[in-house]
Amino acid sequence: MNRWLKEDLWRHIVAGIAVLFALFPLYLVVISSFNSTGSLQITSFVPREISWANYQMLFSSPTIPYLTWMKNSLLIAGSVALISVLIGSASAFAFSRLSFKGRKSGIQVLLLVQMFPAILAIAAVYVIMERVQSFAPSIGLGTQGGLILVYLGGAMGVNIWLLKGFVDSIPKELDEAAKIDGASEVQTFWLIFIPLATPVLAVVTLLSFIGTFNEFILARLFLVDMESRTIAVGLQQFIGGQYSQNWGPFAAGSIIASIPIVIIFLSLQKYIVNGLTAGSVKG
Amino acid sequence: MVRGKLALAIKVIVLALLSALLLLLAQSALAQQEYLIAGFLYLAILLALFTYLTKKSIPLKFFLPGILLLFAFVLSPILFTVTMSGFNYKTGNIISKEEAILQIKNRAFEPDAAGTSFDIKLGTYSEKPALLVSDITTKSYFVSTTDERIALSPGQLTLNQDQVAQNAPGFTPLPIDQISAADKTYSGKRFKYQNEYFLSIEGVDVAIVARQTLTYNQAGDYFKNILNGTVYRDNGRGNYQAGNDKTAILEPGWRAPIWFENYSKLVTDKRFRDPLIRVFIWTVVFAAATVLTTFALGLLLALALNKPIHGRRIYRSILVLPYAMPSVMSILIWGGMFNTEFGAINTLLGTQIAWFQSANFARFAIILVNLWLGFPYFYLVSSGALQAIPNELLEAAAIDGANPRQIFRKITLPLLLQILTPLLIASFAFNFNNFNLIYLLTGGGPRNSLDGEIAGATDILISYTYQIAFGSSTQDLGLASAISLIIFILVASISLYGIRKSKVLESFS
Repeated sequence: MNRWLKEDLWRHIVAGIAVLFALFPLYLVVISSFNSTGSLQITSFVPREISWANYQMLFSSPTIPYLTWMKNSLLIAGSVALISVLIGSASAFAFSRLSFKGRKSGIQVLLLVQMFPAILAIAAVYVIMERVQSFAPSIGLGTQGGLILVYLGGAMGVNIWLLKGFVDSIPKELDEAAKIDGASEVQTFWLIFIPLATPVLAVVTLLSFIGTFNEFILARLFLVDMESRTIAVGLQQFIGGQYSQNWGPFAAGSIIASIPIVIIFLSLQKYIVNGLTAGSVKG
Repeated sequence: MVRGKLALAIKVIVLALLSALLLLLAQSALAQQEYLIAGFLYLAILLALFTYLTKKSIPLKFFLPGILLLFAFVLSPILFTVTMSGFNYKTGNIISKEEAILQIKNRAFEPDAAGTSFDIKLGTYSEKPALLVSDITTKSYFVSTTDERIALSPGQLTLNQDQVAQNAPGFTPLPIDQISAADKTYSGKRFKYQNEYFLSIEGVDVAIVARQTLTYNQAGDYFKNILNGTVYRDNGRGNYQAGNDKTAILEPGWRAPIWFENYSKLVTDKRFRDPLIRVFIWTVVFAAATVLTTFALGLLLALALNKPIHGRRIYRSILVLPYAMPSVMSILIWGGMFNTEFGAINTLLGTQIAWFQSANFARFAIILVNLWLGFPYFYLVSSGALQAIPNELLEAAAIDGANPRQIFRKITLPLLLQILTPLLIASFAFNFNNFNLIYLLTGGGPRNSLDGEIAGATDILISYTYQIAFGSSTQDLGLASAISLIIFILVASISLYGIRKSKVLESFS
């Protein structure tokens, strides 16, 4: 007992305090989401009731098209993740397996480009997409199609970089064998590499999904219409400055939106930490 | 073999559809005179056909889609940013010079001395835009187009109870559903009145009598005021200006190249230099404080949980929750908690602090929230790094008689720092540009916007740039672009330094 006190007690105290710190905001959101008054004011830190009023409001109130926002987010983040990983894996494969002139300088350019935070060029993206809108209204400013295209461009640098690391770790023997059997590079990619790398590609797709789901500022700039917003923009505009009025439904909405992300994240923890140590940081 | 043919068929169909789509886009871009975009699209089609129909370049088959996307949405915005930073490109100086000249001409008129106005109906006369004008005080009526004026007698007309003509022979009134869209065709036009005076519409049913005040001289590239003879010349900075008076300029201006002025005024002009230095210092303090606090707490937790104590797995899964939550949601939640009147933090402390109204409280709140968001990351990576330190090393030290504190200070910590330095640098670079946190929590404030202050007390460089470009009444895209590029150079240097460090590390292990 004495030894336990001496050696383990401080560990429990440190961890306990950190757990309280970590849980405090989450606990507050959960109890306010079940509070029927929907008020930001906390009268008691112990929950008094479990009311579903805030949740019901999300799905019935015409002022919060919550389901539409959620659908938009899933659609945008999903298509960006899938397409960018497919296109990115082709480039990563070529960087990793093909030898060609300019390979090294290509990698260096990519490294530099992926360091340029998209947000720095946001004024330029805005002006360019404004011009695109003048001749192609369906993919210009203010449309989800345009936003997806901009995300795809932005995702390229990071994804190719990340995927290249993964591809390098896949043994070369199999595709070399395929090459000896007379398969072309393109066939090797589709028939050998893609099936082999599916688990890795799935992980990167999910990571890319989380990243896009979390993106705020481009979405804010692009999606002006209530109906076209993503969940992040929708909830931010909904709560914007009116914390006291809209807190309850916001709390409920942010919980529902966070659950899938938290589940994906926890199940991918191992890969995410590895990916992070490879030098990229989640937003 | 069948499979090969199927693949070929799919390839050809996809390629054909894609080229057709791009061609369509390119044609409409060309029609809107967006030559650069059109050129890029044509080039993309040619490249795609060349790459996928010939066997000239195998690597390009893999790279092309990625290269095109990167070029369109990353590289070209970067190049565009570089270009914009050399221009006087801001509210009032957005359009091209030709458009500006046209708009100055159209806007340059003054109402007649009496301020005469007439009731009108919009419509067409011999297929041309025309006004049906009713002067109800003198009961005179006429139709006016841009080049003729046709007098009418009241007997020919359909009048309403206010004696305003509704229709006339030869005149076709605009259908109601087209009136709101007609503004573009009618405003800016000069309809015939008398002598040098003309009619200009002031809404859908009123026109005023006015005369031109400025004329443009193409050969000399100047505007001249007809009434008082003042001459406005191109001042080389995107405006026509009279003499040396910088306020005597004609609106609108155009985007004019000013080369390095956006950069040089950041150094030489006190109004730009002082806020920039203030924001820069806070950016560094914020990023450094964030890295220090998150690393310290993360490391402490990693050390505490670096032993299989009871409940370690539960601790671990709770501790990563802040990191797993979508950060946008977490930041908004914290925003509510810091609310002055109802927020949980004031309730808990029993205080009434206006967190976001005071610079220091706001800064403290930002670092606290970022500690919450970031410590799980350093907990996770420090745990990993601790496992990577060979046990033999620690055991050897213990045998040599070192106490636990000495072991930590002399062996564990130096090794950990060596492993984690690239991550600490990456985290610094990331937080240097942590726009979401600042924008969503404090919006960069508190700021004294009544004094025209753009930089708030918690603004970091990137949110300050955003304010300059989109947030204030004067949107200065040129200046914002210049600051963007400075940030890029700073961050890229930091990141490259970090990568060099990690390369050095790899060669050791």
